[in-house]
Amino acid sequence: MQRPDWAPDTIDIERPSVARMYDYYLGGSHNFAADRAAARAMMEAVPDAPLMAQANRAFLRRVVQFLVDSGVRQFLDIGSGIPTVGNVHEIAHRIAPDARVVYVDVDPVAVAHSREILGDNPGATVIQEDLRRPAAILAHPEVTRLIDFSQPVAVMIVAVLHFIPDSDRPEEILRTLRAALAPGSYLVLSQASDESRGHTGERAEAERVYRRTDNPLSIRDRAELTAFFDGFEPVEPGVVWVPQWRPETAESAEDAERAVFIGGVGRLGG
Amino acid sequence: MAEPAATSCPGTFARAWAKAVSGTSYLPMTQAQLEALLHRLTGRLAGALRAEPFDPRVGHQVGAELVAAHIASAEGLGRTVEVIQLRLVRDLGLVADDVEDRMARLLATVTTGYARALRDRTLDEQESIRRAAMTARAQAERALRDSEARFRHQATHDPLTDLPNRTLFTERLTAAIDRPGRGADRIGVCFLDLDRFKVVNDSLGHQVGDALLVSVAARLRRTLGDHLVARLGGDEFVVLVERTTGTHDVVRVAEAALAAVGEPALVDGHELTVSASVGIVERPVAGASPVELMRAADSTLHWAKAAGGARWSIFDPDRHRDELDRYALSAAIPAAIDRGEFYLDYQPLTSLRDGALLGVEALVRWRHPELGVLRPDRFIGLAEETGLIVWLGGWVLAEACREAESWGAPAPFVSVNLAVRQVHRPGLVQEVGGLLRQTGLPPERLQLEITESTMMSTAEEPVRALRVLADLGVRIAIDDFGTGYCNLAYLRDLPVTELKVAGEFVAGLRAPVTDPTSRTDERILASLVSLAHALDLTVTAEGVETEGQADRLRAIGCDAGQGWYFGRPGPAAGCLDRSPALSTLAGAGAVGSGG
Repeated sequence: MQRPDWAPDTIDIERPSVARMYDYYLGGSHNFAADRAAARAMMEAVPDAPLMAQANRAFLRRVVQFLVDSGVRQFLDIGSGIPTVGNVHEIAHRIAPDARVVYVDVDPVAVAHSREILGDNPGATVIQEDLRRPAAILAHPEVTRLIDFSQPVAVMIVAVLHFIPDSDRPEEILRTLRAALAPGSYLVLSQASDESRGHTGERAEAERVYRRTDNPLSIRDRAELTAFFDGFEPVEPGVVWVPQWRPETAESAEDAERAVFIGGVGRLGG
Repeated sequence: MAEPAATSCPGTFARAWAKAVSGTSYLPMTQAQLEALLHRLTGRLAGALRAEPFDPRVGHQVGAELVAAHIASAEGLGRTVEVIQLRLVRDLGLVADDVEDRMARLLATVTTGYARALRDRTLDEQESIRRAAMTARAQAERALRDSEARFRHQATHDPLTDLPNRTLFTERLTAAIDRPGRGADRIGVCFLDLDRFKVVNDSLGHQVGDALLVSVAARLRRTLGDHLVARLGGDEFVVLVERTTGTHDVVRVAEAALAAVGEPALVDGHELTVSASVGIVERPVAGASPVELMRAADSTLHWAKAAGGARWSIFDPDRHRDELDRYALSAAIPAAIDRGEFYLDYQPLTSLRDGALLGVEALVRWRHPELGVLRPDRFIGLAEETGLIVWLGGWVLAEACREAESWGAPAPFVSVNLAVRQVHRPGLVQEVGGLLRQTGLPPERLQLEITESTMMSTAEEPVRALRVLADLGVRIAIDDFGTGYCNLAYLRDLPVTELKVAGEFVAGLRAPVTDPTSRTDERILASLVSLAHALDLTVTAEGVETEGQADRLRAIGCDAGQGWYFGRPGPAAGCLDRSPALSTLAGAGAVGSGG
């Protein structure tokens, strides 16, 4: 196996992983002591952290449902993390068994775990790549094997962009991805915002916790996230607090700003 | 005993339960799906409350099902216990005497089942993530090993031809020599170098040159597959021949290599046929060292080159020792200058007309601490090859000027040989001018001897420098005139004052006048003298050993003589002291062979 030069040459489970911290917020046990310690520190600073993760996960579920209902059969989930409950392929395959899903993550443990879960599932695969190398993702043989870019694809970058600082030029990453997509494709983004909690000290605390990981935080507001949809037509209701995105019940959208995550869906016209 | 009540609303209870557990963990389902699930479980709980006898398995199963449906958190359990305790009996309208007992047992079995399932799930997940970490680690380590192997290959192979490089070759050679228990073995090394490879590069370009190297490498590898073939760099290849039984084994390899290189090949659209030279060393492993083996093979290669290429040469220890000695001698020159091991002898240049001492030629000597006094023929050639001649010649010039200045009357000029490199070096004028100023030697008492070959170059700078020096008054002599460069055009440009005629013409004058060769030499000499005089130059004959030679030279009109007849090289004092005697005796023709 050729080792990409950006990949670590060893696996250090003493260092918290954002993927496994997220799993802990969701109530999973796919995590190690260092992940739990960092996650608990985060929950100390931001007690709603588990709620945020759950809300984001529920957003993902509703979006995939919406996309499948809209006829999308190809999914590129970048930054898929530890595949816990309610994966894209589980949701998609329940409705559309012919759907094809490629998971992409930079975390080698997350990738190894995904590979085990997926087994020999013909409709889903996982690759180890970095969102910051979109061209490498698009050209990856596993990606080109499963995804036909002449047909609509949903590119999902859910709860990941806040790990991509502006210095990594996220707008260029998205432009590269967009250029590969056929009309009728979708872009799904969500990320942490501090618009509802700017006055509290939570942001600084959260940033301090995530500095211990390989992925420090880049919090953005709604205008910034909306700008990332450049070239896509907004899908109703646009960029909102994730619980407000096509909620199943009116109740579930209450106190939406507690979720901290903002998200939305764009459609490539033409 | 539980009785069915008039108002049973399991839907109400299921909704309340769903609301209670919402948000306690991520539930991968819609609210409706959750309510449907809990509605089914409500039915099972109701059944368990009524059942006779009480069946604990139902509670266990409900607990496990909750966990399986991802209602799997401490909060989820707490809320579940709370909602069952508070509402189940009421919402389902259950009535029984022992309902409290039954409820307690039911909750006990649900929580037990739940805790068991959650524990199993936790352990499973822990195992799964640990396995993933191990897999990832193994992959990372394998990738690292692969990249290390790749790095190792890059470090030990030539990127152009992918042959092993010098590093790997040296490793293998060292291993072959050091391998214990192999003392009786013999080993061979072939150094191979393409003949005139530079011509290919220069005329067809480096791309074709590189393609030729790749093609040669492939042919060598194919032909010598059993032996390690490495590329040392440039067009140099080396073959390791292990476990030889004698030189013939390595010669066979060398011949195969030469044949392989000599095959015509189509390289980058050009049909190229090249040859190579091979240096062969073969010897017992015992006592051999890799460095010395490589060096020996390299020198042997140069013998094959010097002999015209397209051949192999076998290492000859005596020849190699001579070369090493020469090398050692040349390497010792700088330190010898510093230690004052060089000194000058002088040989008189005597007037053939009246026997007067006109000048002396400075001749450098090396008083070597081990080899004794060495004459210039032992080291000047080496110094010229290595460029040390500039340094040594500079020392000779300075020493000659310094010593000559101290000589009293009659003060002859001092004649110093300049090497080609000295003449062609910028700064000659400054160097000579500086020496004359420092020592106070009048310029007309310094003669610089240059050879005809010095003037073969078309460069203008040396001519200009010599003209500046001649304008200062410095004498310029052409040494060994008539044996080298045959174009006399330079005499037109050069401010020459004197021609020194090579001793080989003078040697002919020893034979009787009747000898035809002797007569030819005499006629040549006479022509040279008349040529020189026509150009207003004086002529000094070198190598004059007998009175007869001196007489015939005088008869021709030659101006001066140098040689044993007039005095052997020696310290300045002897040379100068003897001159008055010589001047009288020479005229009387009574000088014996010089001492």
